[in-house]
Amino acid sequence: MLNCKQASLLASRAMDEKLPFRERMALRLHLWLCRNCTHFTEQLAFLREAARHSKIHLDFYLTDEARQRIARALEDQPPGTDHSEEL
Amino acid sequence: MAKINNLNAQRWLEEHGDYLFSYALLRVKDNHLAEDLVQETLLAAMSAQNTFSNQSSVRTWLTGILKHKLIDCFRKQGREVAIAELVDQEEDDSLDRFFKLNGGWVERPAAFPNPETALEQKEFWEIFMRCLSGLKPKQAEVFLAKEIYGMKNEAICKDFMLSPTNIWVLIHRARLSLARCLKTHWLN
Repeated sequence: MLNCKQASLLASRAMDEKLPFRERMALRLHLWLCRNCTHFTEQLAFLREAARHSKIHLDFYLTDEARQRIARALEDQPPGTDHSEEL
Repeated sequence: MAKINNLNAQRWLEEHGDYLFSYALLRVKDNHLAEDLVQETLLAAMSAQNTFSNQSSVRTWLTGILKHKLIDCFRKQGREVAIAELVDQEEDDSLDRFFKLNGGWVERPAAFPNPETALEQKEFWEIFMRCLSGLKPKQAEVFLAKEIYGMKNEAICKDFMLSPTNIWVLIHRARLSLARCLKTHWLN
């Protein structure tokens, strides 16, 4: 019998891949009996949805303006300028 | 030589620019500052190509440079805590923040009410951003890559030099942290 710690890890994995038969059945049984872990699987689905929408809502991408500005700065970089001491 | 450097840098901007920007934004929470950091990172990378060994991938290497820039930035601002968070090594394997010795939950996962409408609310995204910013560095990197940028596991393995098992564990921890953070700040 799985405990919740084990079941939650399987539930996470199941988001991304098909579990082997035995684990799949063990997880299913655990979820049937465990409301907490069932809630956790709902949270996992919710987190995935939120993550999928993040790029837009959190501005997780360079604007065209910023991109162009940076591209120009990279082009303007004189040859032989050494920034490596800043590393 | 300079031309080649430049071509590389333009390609890096195209392939990794958004990712680097997101990572910086999680840490500094300021769009302009994050843009500047990306620029500085790519400029530094252009001159430091000789430090790029084949031990890591380009994205990991660029992220490493970005982290240095972030540390410098925080140092100037006197933000020691932020520096500590950035260099934090992965926590121990036991997940005992979340599970008791017998494998049961420390805090019971709550059901999120009305998940469909949550995503339409500005307050939710502010909290979500805050929760993402609270993730440990490696968890943040992999969660960003996989869940937000949709990178496949094979690509993440290659780019971040991680095994598939590492990835599951990091993603799982990220999810546990995010779920708890959302429960604390969004539900209550």
